[in-house]
Amino acid sequence: MTILAGAPRTSREGLFERVIAMLDMVRSIPDDLSDEESEGVIALMPPDVAETLEGFLNPRVRRASIAYLKMIGKWMDEAREAKETGKKVILVPFNFVPELIHAFENAVPLTSEVLTSLGAGAIEGKGHRYWDYAMGLGIPDHLCSSSTIELGSMLTGQDFEADAIVSSTAGACDANSKIHEFVAHYLGIPQFILEKPVDDTERGREQFRRNFYRLVSNLEEYIGEEISEERLRDVVENCNRAAELHYQLWELKKNVPCPVPNLFSFFVYGCRFTMWGRPEAVRCMEVMVEESRRRLEAGEYPAPRELARVGWLYVGYYIDYNGLFNWMEEQGYSYLFDVLDLFFPDPIPTDSRETMLDGVCEAARRFPMTRQMGADSMSVAWIDDAVHMCREMNANCGIYCGHHACKQTWSVISIVQKELMDRIGAPTLCLQGDAWLSGMTPMSRLQGDIDEFMKNVVIKRRRVHRPLR
Amino acid sequence: MTVTTSALEEAVRVSEAVENEYVKRWKEGGGQVVGYSCVTTPPEIIDAAGLLPYRIRALGNPNTEIADAHLARFNCSFCRSCLQLGLDGTFDFLDGLIETNGCDHLRGMFENWQYVKPVAFFHYVKVPHQTTPEAMEYYTEELRLFAKALEAGFGTKVTRPKLKKAIERQEAVRSKLREVYAMREGDAPSFTGTEALSLFLLASAMPADDYLALIDRVIDERSGTGITGYRARLMLCGAATDELELIGEIEDVGGLVVTDSLCYGARAFWKPIRTDLEPIEALAELYLKEMLCPRMYEDFPRRRDFVIDEVKRAGVDGVMVMHNKFCDVHGVDNVQLRLSLEKEGIPVLQLEKEYGSKADIGRIRTRVQAFLERIGDRS
Amino acid sequence: MSDTRRFAGIDVGSLTAQAVLIEDGHTPMLKAIGVKFDARSIRVKSNPLDSARTVMGELLDERKLGWGDITYCVSTGYGRDRVEAEGLAQQNMSEISCHGVGAFSLAPQVRTIIDIGGQDAKVIRVDENGDLVNFVMNDKCAAGTGRFLEVMSRTLGISFEDLGPLAIEAHSRIELSSRCSIFAETEVLHYIQKGVNRADLASGITKSMADRVMALVRRVGMEKEVMMTGGVAKNVAVRSELEKMLNVRMIAPHIDPQLIGAYGAAVLARRTGEAS
Repeated sequence: MTILAGAPRTSREGLFERVIAMLDMVRSIPDDLSDEESEGVIALMPPDVAETLEGFLNPRVRRASIAYLKMIGKWMDEAREAKETGKKVILVPFNFVPELIHAFENAVPLTSEVLTSLGAGAIEGKGHRYWDYAMGLGIPDHLCSSSTIELGSMLTGQDFEADAIVSSTAGACDANSKIHEFVAHYLGIPQFILEKPVDDTERGREQFRRNFYRLVSNLEEYIGEEISEERLRDVVENCNRAAELHYQLWELKKNVPCPVPNLFSFFVYGCRFTMWGRPEAVRCMEVMVEESRRRLEAGEYPAPRELARVGWLYVGYYIDYNGLFNWMEEQGYSYLFDVLDLFFPDPIPTDSRETMLDGVCEAARRFPMTRQMGADSMSVAWIDDAVHMCREMNANCGIYCGHHACKQTWSVISIVQKELMDRIGAPTLCLQGDAWLSGMTPMSRLQGDIDEFMKNVVIKRRRVHRPLR
Repeated sequence: MTVTTSALEEAVRVSEAVENEYVKRWKEGGGQVVGYSCVTTPPEIIDAAGLLPYRIRALGNPNTEIADAHLARFNCSFCRSCLQLGLDGTFDFLDGLIETNGCDHLRGMFENWQYVKPVAFFHYVKVPHQTTPEAMEYYTEELRLFAKALEAGFGTKVTRPKLKKAIERQEAVRSKLREVYAMREGDAPSFTGTEALSLFLLASAMPADDYLALIDRVIDERSGTGITGYRARLMLCGAATDELELIGEIEDVGGLVVTDSLCYGARAFWKPIRTDLEPIEALAELYLKEMLCPRMYEDFPRRRDFVIDEVKRAGVDGVMVMHNKFCDVHGVDNVQLRLSLEKEGIPVLQLEKEYGSKADIGRIRTRVQAFLERIGDRS
Repeated sequence: MSDTRRFAGIDVGSLTAQAVLIEDGHTPMLKAIGVKFDARSIRVKSNPLDSARTVMGELLDERKLGWGDITYCVSTGYGRDRVEAEGLAQQNMSEISCHGVGAFSLAPQVRTIIDIGGQDAKVIRVDENGDLVNFVMNDKCAAGTGRFLEVMSRTLGISFEDLGPLAIEAHSRIELSSRCSIFAETEVLHYIQKGVNRADLASGITKSMADRVMALVRRVGMEKEVMMTGGVAKNVAVRSELEKMLNVRMIAPHIDPQLIGAYGAAVLARRTGEAS
């Protein structure tokens, strides 16, 4: 008999169940956890979990972290309950509008990259075993860990399985699209594709709209339910409220020093990719706005001075939240946004089912990665967004994570780097490291590179060129 | 004294140059050349505009130092090699360049090429990844826009009769390639895999009429001849490869390549064009609906069945599925393909390689040889 | 020239070259139980032909034989085709087949062979007839090959041979977090500077090595029984770590595991030579 060594033997060993078990421990903690209690909770955890929780329970971000983790807990509970009650669990990629699935009574969205990010950060072994399992099947190691870790767990046949997959990265990311296709085929579950043409003309937009409406009707048929206008309105109103809070947070970020903790950037898109359209996401966004306001009023900033304002040009690193987000702000480096924050929501008119679906469709077209790499040109739209945001936020440098699976961004980063310098005088650091696999480039090395770049390039330039406001 | 070379020798020699003598002659006669790379680009439209369609190639070129300043080492080395030739002047004979969104690496190649050293005429054909009615409609319109762009850029007209004529001409070329491939299916194939690749490469690098004259001579010459004494019959599947040398190495170890489903191979000509449709619709049908490329989603079963049929038709002993490092579309598809073929009891060797790398050859040879030792010996 | 028929295998690898000679009438079984086979191993010379000539020449000299006394010879290893082309062997076979055949001849119950040499790591599956069923080879990365252990022992300031025994003495293992051999080296240096117990670190290095090999095993799957061949098979700690991970007890070959490629080549030579 052939044995695939390392495969989990029970569902308890799958990524989904292990993340949920970790969240179960968080669920019971009070929203206003004290320092002492916080230390107690951390002490109870195994090392990998403790490390992440330590970052999340840092007093600067603690309230928001608890709101965030509870929201995620609810999101995962709903998926688990859905299985028990016969609702459909739809696996979606991060660049898909979860509100569309929330608009169904009988379906829930589960986002693979979010689960991976939780697994990579917060479970013992950091998700490596699921990656290894996928590699064992022969999946090439240049695939993206963001989807492959969670999907690797699903491929073992022992983890929580989705009923269907929506793929919306065709045209914006080959790696993501292909692994989704593979998993759907391997597990024998249906796959629905939402393709955005690499075309931002009127014709391209119209084509996307047609694709979107085809997807909606395919999903309605599959789930066996027509989206009700009433339920959709509830969802869209929550989306609109969350969008408002999102822009409030952006306004707050414009202050120098930045009163919004670095980690909030991650929490914002964590909301966007999971519970957007639900009151839980609104609540989480509210806590972040409240906390940032309070910090602004109190003049709190973790370093003596804000030395650099960073436009993080693509995704962050999710292998060590404390080591990246918190560490940066302690050095005086504010992480203002990364590409996943760039979904630019518009208020959606709630007049009719059509206006609302049109609004959700437009939101889908503007999703991160879809709107940049899935544009006519992979570099032009990305540069435009980056330049716009750097100007808005008064960023004085860019950092590109250099996640090795991102072939599209690696393809054009040299152009982006040059244009950012030419247009706004912002230097860009290109790191190299896997954003979800801690075993590739260690965080200490990344920190070293960031520090060197800041001290030798950014801060020196700032003295010569333009001081921060 | 006249040295007579065979038609095949001539074809092989011409195929080894990027800017071959036919291209030079075409240019000297005042003709213009339009380059494209992806197999979803219909050369018929370029031909109908009175231009020479030329498929971009790197012929195993391992040097990428100029390209590496633009594309990253996480990009496929085939695209880096092509970009290198674009930036170092090798492709300076091109008057136009056609981009398609074949894959992320290819998009990056075109984008950097245009950014660093723009070709005078540039057009982007946007190809959907599905074949839904909406996608077919969109792509058909894209082809119309492509023809219009060529008209505007080169001051020509792509009329319906011209398009029909170009389709006939290119279909004649494609049918000759099918004939060449058919001559490899028997017990004693008339061509090696290396020769067949040369003939394929030439078909998209010279005027169709000249090619037809040459290929007829080649086919004539080789009819009734056959190769024997090889160890096993192989089929190649996977990523873009125009590496004559690599196939030479495989055949040197004793594995005769008798068929493929490669992008620089059968994928480009396996299906005859439909004659019952309007020209532009027939092209859309051929280049999108019938496209056996892993860039197309929801279409794996068809790609798998094509390979299985081909294995039977050409009496294949083993299949090699290859991808260039960092190629996601083939990298993942090859896993599905390997698993499916294994289920059918067909021996498979899955290989990840670096394009044009001499350093890799020894390791590839070892694996191919072990694969041949595994599947047995016909010789 | 005597009537005895002699079959030879020459394995020219990246670091060492081996020659094996088996004689007619002797079942190619174990030296340990009194069956005759002769072997010789040397560091490689500047080119594979010199290596082949030297290693086989020395072996023949020792037996007071000449090249003409060899009935049939199979070459393997990276220099295999040149050795054949030069007429030193009648046939060349890949080292993958040779390790499979070699291991199977030594222990017919073997189905999975893990062969780790200086630059390559391979997992080879054979069937009940000893025929090659499947195999996988590492990519170009050094992690998971003998080279990784060599670099790591140098970083620890010990010899390659001492790494295994040292790792066995560990009390609590220090796990390396990085899978990349370059970063892992930095990590090891960092721990040395911190003054941690070297045995604990050696144990972590061993684990990291075994992890990489496991990645290959997963690719082709494992079927019992398992044998480890190649130079790294001599590292007791890597062996026992792999046994733990695979949950098997590996068959210990009764000959130097580094000789198995050449031995397999000789067995193949005998098979072909006797048939012809």
